[in-house]
Amino acid sequence: MRRAAIGLLLAAAGAVAAAAPRLLDFSADERAAIQSHGPWPPPPVRDPANALEGRPEAVAFGRRLFHDRRLSADGRVACASCHVPATGFSDRRPTARARQGEGPRNTPTLWDVAQQRWFGWGGATDSLWAASMVPLLATGEMAHTVPALAARVRAAPDLAAGWRRAHGREIPADDEAVVVGLAKALAAWQATLVSPRTAFDDFRDALARGDTQAAAQYPLAAQRGLRLFVGEARCSVCHSGPRFSNGEFGDVGVPFFVPAAQGGGVDSGRHAGLLALQRSRLTRLGPHHDGDAAADPRALLTRQLTMEPRHFGEFRVPGLRQLVHTAPYWHDGSAATLGAVVRHYSLLDEDRLHADGERILRRLNLSPRQAADLEAFLRTLSTPAQRAMASPSTHTR
Amino acid sequence: MKAWLAALGLAGGVAAAQMAPPPAADCPAPEAGAAVIEQPGLRATWRAEPALAVSRPFALRITLCPARAELLRVDATMPEHRHGMNYRPRLQATGPGAWTADGLLWHMPGRWELLLVARVDGQERRLVQSVTLR
Repeated sequence: MRRAAIGLLLAAAGAVAAAAPRLLDFSADERAAIQSHGPWPPPPVRDPANALEGRPEAVAFGRRLFHDRRLSADGRVACASCHVPATGFSDRRPTARARQGEGPRNTPTLWDVAQQRWFGWGGATDSLWAASMVPLLATGEMAHTVPALAARVRAAPDLAAGWRRAHGREIPADDEAVVVGLAKALAAWQATLVSPRTAFDDFRDALARGDTQAAAQYPLAAQRGLRLFVGEARCSVCHSGPRFSNGEFGDVGVPFFVPAAQGGGVDSGRHAGLLALQRSRLTRLGPHHDGDAAADPRALLTRQLTMEPRHFGEFRVPGLRQLVHTAPYWHDGSAATLGAVVRHYSLLDEDRLHADGERILRRLNLSPRQAADLEAFLRTLSTPAQRAMASPSTHTR
Repeated sequence: MKAWLAALGLAGGVAAAQMAPPPAADCPAPEAGAAVIEQPGLRATWRAEPALAVSRPFALRITLCPARAELLRVDATMPEHRHGMNYRPRLQATGPGAWTADGLLWHMPGRWELLLVARVDGQERRLVQSVTLR
């Protein structure tokens, strides 16, 4: 009897010990790498190319426009039809619904979008306002033309009044300037979409201030997954910084052939994006920059871009915040779950990568526990659904 | 300044200014904190503005000695990754022997190889420096 009781007590003590908060012995290098993923949110940075950013009237107008179906030629869809606020500003579909059938690419989230350097999966635009014009004018999406959309703004008293209030001036005669003005209001609102803090941020900040007790509240599986992320698995080589993206492009071995049902052919990703940038007048180097393009470092990057064979089949490295709410994944939405993404890297087909291309990725061969740990960490980069879906705070600068 | 130098691992014939070999008689002392690449008859010193950080655009302020050397090209690659930058730096002469290269961006942590190509007395010279970005 006594032995049984002692055994029970020891078992209970063991269970308590197993469940007790614990902090892994992160090395100095690991701690530095973890710190590089914060703080969150980062200080806001205004885009000099868009004078509307931070103007409350423009932000309010942009928010209304985002839900306004009149921005599509047939009046059937709004920006919010695909960038659904309740589902992480994406649509939970592998690829976006086009006017006829399906498009070739997944609808990217708009959380933290203003912090991107390039926009769209191929980076075909270099500003959020130019990116906002793409769906307005794409034949497969909202299918407007510049003259038709400008005429619609002029003819609708509420749109015209909103435009004037947002810009603080009369509507210009130039149609393109009217539509760019709409896009800049849309961008002004999207620039306020800063994702909420997460469990990872609390952990990172606790480590920074040396609060080991608070840091130990972070789940052990997530800690192990984080160690993999910044270490052996080398995820943070591309998914770097507070937004977990280096803002550039990579080929991670996801096929770039487009199924016939979605138009067929090849999606060349960054290569196509670079060609589009070169052709476009709607860039930071064009006539619609609101500031001094010569003093805009991002305009300099647009001017100094290179195009190389390796860019074929590269796609934008997405940020990882709120990713739980933005499935499915990849540019073509071919990974239905976070687990599928982790499995992709674990079983990576290195032969699929460019033979003469980069040597960054390698098959991770994760054990089941490592895969679960990595996924556990990734999940801590999202907030619970209710917090994520809450309307973002509108902050002006 | 010390902070960003500490963030860099300088290797492969490269040293911070205080560790550089004595300057040639006709070269000014390198600016404190500048990195130095030296070959017989040619010295380049450089510093990044703003300080190097992963995925942050920067410019290089470069001083060549002798000042008659002409900077022809600035580039950087990650040899282990087998890729370079996604941007081609723009070069501007800013004074005798002084140059600015802007439009640089190192988008990954790890070992970068910085390449400066200069022409001195009709000869093209390649100065290479290994920089580990953390």
